[in-house]
Amino acid sequence: MLAGQLMDLRSMLHSQGVIFAYSGYVTEPVLSGVGEALKQKLTIDDADTKTLRSVFAIFVEQMQNIIRYSAEKAHQPMPPASDAGALNEIRYGILTIGREGNDYMVCAGNLVRQSDVPRLKERLSRIRNMSKEELKALYKEQLRADPEQGSKGAGLGFMEIARRATQPIDFDFADVDGEYSFFALKATI
Amino acid sequence: MRDKLDIEATSRTPAVVFDFANNHLKIAGESYPEDVTEFYRPVFDALDAYLGKLDKGSCRFDFELIYLNSSSAKAVMMLMDKLEAAAKKGAAVDVHWFYDKEDDTMQELGEEFGEDLETATFHLEKMPG
Repeated sequence: MLAGQLMDLRSMLHSQGVIFAYSGYVTEPVLSGVGEALKQKLTIDDADTKTLRSVFAIFVEQMQNIIRYSAEKAHQPMPPASDAGALNEIRYGILTIGREGNDYMVCAGNLVRQSDVPRLKERLSRIRNMSKEELKALYKEQLRADPEQGSKGAGLGFMEIARRATQPIDFDFADVDGEYSFFALKATI
Repeated sequence: MRDKLDIEATSRTPAVVFDFANNHLKIAGESYPEDVTEFYRPVFDALDAYLGKLDKGSCRFDFELIYLNSSSAKAVMMLMDKLEAAAKKGAAVDVHWFYDKEDDTMQELGEEFGEDLETATFHLEKMPG
């Protein structure tokens, strides 16, 4: 029963070409650890330098998006005073890395607030339809701009993913309830 | 002002070697820190103190970055801005951007940063080996 259930889960991932899967609370040390294992696997696969760097770069941006923006989070109600500044909030998401023929795919999913969906859709559609040249121009513009309200990074993550991907990025949203939607983003390298 | 800033590389942060005595500054390796602001704050502070006193002197800054995440790109742009500002004030500033020839993304990024340097001299070079 136990082995059967876990094997089914593994088979389902396997049938989709998934070689890495992480579902749970994501922290920076998780990113470091999974990242190291990913680099090793890409080296074993004998991936060329550009592919290795691109898969890794997209993995980092996708993981940091979950860490910073997932709307599903757990936190200590009252962090001990001695722990001031310690991370007392962790966010939930799912990330998979898979292979499809010669391509690698990095997919990430997490909950977002319904109120953020229109803005995300608009930004992602815009980026998705851009040529590499247009992306380059927008990246430069954004690099110089002040980060958008609510942004905890440079606001460049999606563009970095699109620039590193070898095909247009793919994204989707699924309604969860009145408050939340599940957001999925796939990049192919 | 101290004559050297020496930060060892880690798996997620680059080596920073600012040899102020010889006017040779270098940042090398991978940059995707857990907290970009925290990592770059002492780097910015040391560079500001040094450039503030450079006046009409000359300096060389080498970027030998293998990989940087998007939030580090913003920090690199701020380093470039500081170097450009010093050049505008009369210093002779040489910026070298080294890229791995197998990774044209880093080459392109170097070109983009280079386009914004008007007074500082920019060199785009392949990493040896």
